[in-house]
Amino acid sequence: MRQSNIGWLFLAPATLILFVIGFIPFIYILYVGFFDWNTNAVDPTLRWAGLQNYRSLVFDTTFLNSLTRTLVFAFFVVVSELLLGYVLARALMADRLWGRQFFRTIHTLPIVVAPIAVGATWRLLCVPGFGIVPYYLKLWFGIDYNIATNSYHAFATAIVMDLWHWTPFVTLSLMAGLTALPKEPLEQAQIDGGNKLQIFWYVIVPMLKPVLLTTVFIRLMDALRSVDEIWMLTKGGPAEATRFIGLHIWINVFPKTDYGYGAAMSLLTLYVTIVLSWLLFVAMTGRKGGAQ
Amino acid sequence: MAGSQPRKTQRDGFLPIRTNGFDRGFISVVILILVHLLWMRFLEGLLPLWVATVLCLALAVFIIRKG
Repeated sequence: MRQSNIGWLFLAPATLILFVIGFIPFIYILYVGFFDWNTNAVDPTLRWAGLQNYRSLVFDTTFLNSLTRTLVFAFFVVVSELLLGYVLARALMADRLWGRQFFRTIHTLPIVVAPIAVGATWRLLCVPGFGIVPYYLKLWFGIDYNIATNSYHAFATAIVMDLWHWTPFVTLSLMAGLTALPKEPLEQAQIDGGNKLQIFWYVIVPMLKPVLLTTVFIRLMDALRSVDEIWMLTKGGPAEATRFIGLHIWINVFPKTDYGYGAAMSLLTLYVTIVLSWLLFVAMTGRKGGAQ
Repeated sequence: MAGSQPRKTQRDGFLPIRTNGFDRGFISVVILILVHLLWMRFLEGLLPLWVATVLCLALAVFIIRKG
């Protein structure tokens, strides 16, 4: 009992900080979400709106399209990064690879680049008439690549840019996980005659589950709130092809100063993120709820 | 902390997963929000929203007790 009290005492500063920077803003957003509040409107004061913001939200096709687009983007990005990250992790761990320390460093560099700089760089690479990507795509494949006018090109570029930026993070996490795996179960599986695919699926994946789960959660949450890179790359265009939910909320909250509606959108996005994460957790652990 | 929880707080109810009290409360809140949003989108013109609230609260009690 005494030990437990001391534990709480040690936890108190962190709990207090989390309460101030996490819980209080959340409650404030929850509060603002029930009000009509636009500082640029004729009446800039807070006016009680009840559930009106949420009622508007479920009929707002721009918001719903943004949400769907973000979910599609997150799905493609997380799955691709996981597959690519695993392949790269195995490649960079291979004993035969000459200069692997050098390749590991080069491969890890994108993580330290600021998202805004990543967006600016990719914009320079992809802008028609100037960037090397449209130039070589035209030269080699005859593709008229243009992220300013073609929705598919813009969306695909956003995915590739995110892959370039964040696959190294997945690779590092998986390398850490793979290095920490015990050798005995793998040797046992080889002796038992398991092929590579069986060993991967029945031995490596179950043992890597904690690392996989953490990595997928981090990447999923990051992908669902991509803003700065996309803003620099396409500004949400062409039309609304890359207007992801974070960008949509930002446009409503800042240039339009529609705080009540922005708060409602943020909360609904948070709800979707929490539900997705929970479903993923249940699916990946095969259990069985939140308190195992 | 979660790992040190005694097993007996978890149980197999009618839900397809083994849950503890927190899980059942969480599932109830998730359903409550989802039903209200869908109700506002599709049914509010026919039935008022408080009907959804009453239904969800009844469902929450059922999930928490039997889930």
